[in-house]
Amino acid sequence: MDISIFIQILVWGLYAGCIYILLAIGLNLIFGVMKVVNFAHGELLMIGAYVTFWLYSSSGINPYLVVPISTFIMAILGILIERFGFRPIRGTGKLNEIFLSLGLIYLLQNSAALLWTTNSRTIHSPYSDILVPLGTIKLPLDYIIIIIATILFLIAFQLFMKKTTIGRAMRATSQNREAAALMGINVERIDMLSFALGSALAAVAGSLWLISGQMVNPYVGSLPAIKAFAVIIIGGLGSIPGAIIAGLILGIAENVVPVIIQSLVAVFNVEMSFTAWKDTIAFLILIIVLILRPTGLFGKKGE
Amino acid sequence: MNREKIISVKTCLGFISFLIALLMPHIFGVSQYLLTVLIIMLVFILYSSAWNLLALSGQGSLGHAAFFGIGGYTSAIVVKSLGLPPLATILAGGIFAAFIGVLIGLTCVRLKEWFLAMVTFGFAVLAHTITLELPGLTGGWDGLPVQKVIPVTVHNYIMYEYYLVLITTVIVLFVIYQIMNSKVGLAFEAIRENELEANVMGINVMKYKLTAFAVSAFFSGIAGALEIHHFGYITPEVYGIDISFWPIIYCVSGGLCTIEGPILGTIIITLLDESLKNFGWTYERYIMIGLILILIVRFLPKGFVSVPEKIKAYLRS
Repeated sequence: MDISIFIQILVWGLYAGCIYILLAIGLNLIFGVMKVVNFAHGELLMIGAYVTFWLYSSSGINPYLVVPISTFIMAILGILIERFGFRPIRGTGKLNEIFLSLGLIYLLQNSAALLWTTNSRTIHSPYSDILVPLGTIKLPLDYIIIIIATILFLIAFQLFMKKTTIGRAMRATSQNREAAALMGINVERIDMLSFALGSALAAVAGSLWLISGQMVNPYVGSLPAIKAFAVIIIGGLGSIPGAIIAGLILGIAENVVPVIIQSLVAVFNVEMSFTAWKDTIAFLILIIVLILRPTGLFGKKGE
Repeated sequence: MNREKIISVKTCLGFISFLIALLMPHIFGVSQYLLTVLIIMLVFILYSSAWNLLALSGQGSLGHAAFFGIGGYTSAIVVKSLGLPPLATILAGGIFAAFIGVLIGLTCVRLKEWFLAMVTFGFAVLAHTITLELPGLTGGWDGLPVQKVIPVTVHNYIMYEYYLVLITTVIVLFVIYQIMNSKVGLAFEAIRENELEANVMGINVMKYKLTAFAVSAFFSGIAGALEIHHFGYITPEVYGIDISFWPIIYCVSGGLCTIEGPILGTIIITLLDESLKNFGWTYERYIMIGLILILIVRFLPKGFVSVPEKIKAYLRS
């Protein structure tokens, strides 16, 4: 295979991986602090993308500039979901949290369909025509912006978690909730803040995804959410470096594996469209990992 | 003594509702619309009860559409290739779904809660992809036309179809009721409450979890086959996320891990859904259903079946 095509696919994977990482880190933070898996996390990505679309189409300014505003709006929505959804049912069983997430999925998907119809929406980025030459290949500027923005976000997030009081309180709460509460940390406020931060990260992921030329419709959120879940299972619940590595692996595997299989299949002349397997790869990895390690690759025993 | 009384009241209610269901076409006449709604309702009662049986053993699946769809496709393909009557192939659909259920169950027995939920969800996506990749057998995106259970040429065919589905559902519910009240059902509940303790008490956890998967998949497959032989066609949409989520909504709103929960939940939610549909609402009614699910998890965790108890407790206080 031509090496430049391969690099192109690799960059595609890197870009997809960035979106998964942003989503997975939010999910991971909420899980770490509250021990809740929000299955409706992908719907937050979808709503975030729609809010960006709505702000952009009503103001017409550079779409990258409206991302902070939609992020803020989504953080508030996250607070509302935590306050009125997950907080009251804390400690009533894991299944209830799954059921509540299902209710949220229905609520958010159909609210989006009601507000913005089910037509696929897209934003025409001002940089969509610009290609940056990089050696023998050309890359869209948007992809490079997204990759760099994700790296900056991750650095900022890591600094926030390590250096600030709130970040430390979040880590303390995720390590031991009772001990953190005894040390004078308001754990419920930490719950609220981590849910807000998780939702904000989902909104960033959704907005960047939309701006880079992807279509968004009300049902677009469920697959990325599940892939983000696969990422945190592979990378280890609560581990941020693990999520970054796993997100990159998944993003690249999704784009590279179908091409490799396809070129192998071409040799044997079998008729199958392996692009259809793209969305299945995350699950195959997930299933294989969980068969070998039921609590995830780096998961703790007896959780 | 008191317990016996409650059981007999429930049995009476069950019997009365069965009688009403039997007389339905005679009370309201043979209406195509009404009977279609009732047939789908019955299919989903069957399907939700199957899901409920798995939940009874502590395993919440988010991908039951895999079994529903596999049952449907198996039945459709067997009818097409062997020319057997649909009545026989519905059973084949259930058996093949049970076989797949055991295979999936083998990978899931060690998993819990979210891990289980994600993996079962993943298997539904996998089943969808595999179906699309075998267009020669499954018709790909276009799906397959399927023979109806009762040919359309028969006078009042929809009524016979209704009775067939009704009788199947009642038999399945009876079997599920027997399972729930047998040693197997008790073992399921023990595993749900505390897997480790159940193991210590000498319950073979793995065996019972697999049994739950197989039985649940079997009945889900039958439900799927019944539905597609009613519609007369099958498309990959049977693996849709909605198909996986509906039984959960029905069971949670009706009352988890009870025999009457899925029945009550399916009837109430379907009636609500149909009446809102008549207002011309589409998205609004799903928003309502999402809200209802959230409110039930929050305020009525035991579902609609616990409403009489709640009222009694309220009156007493």
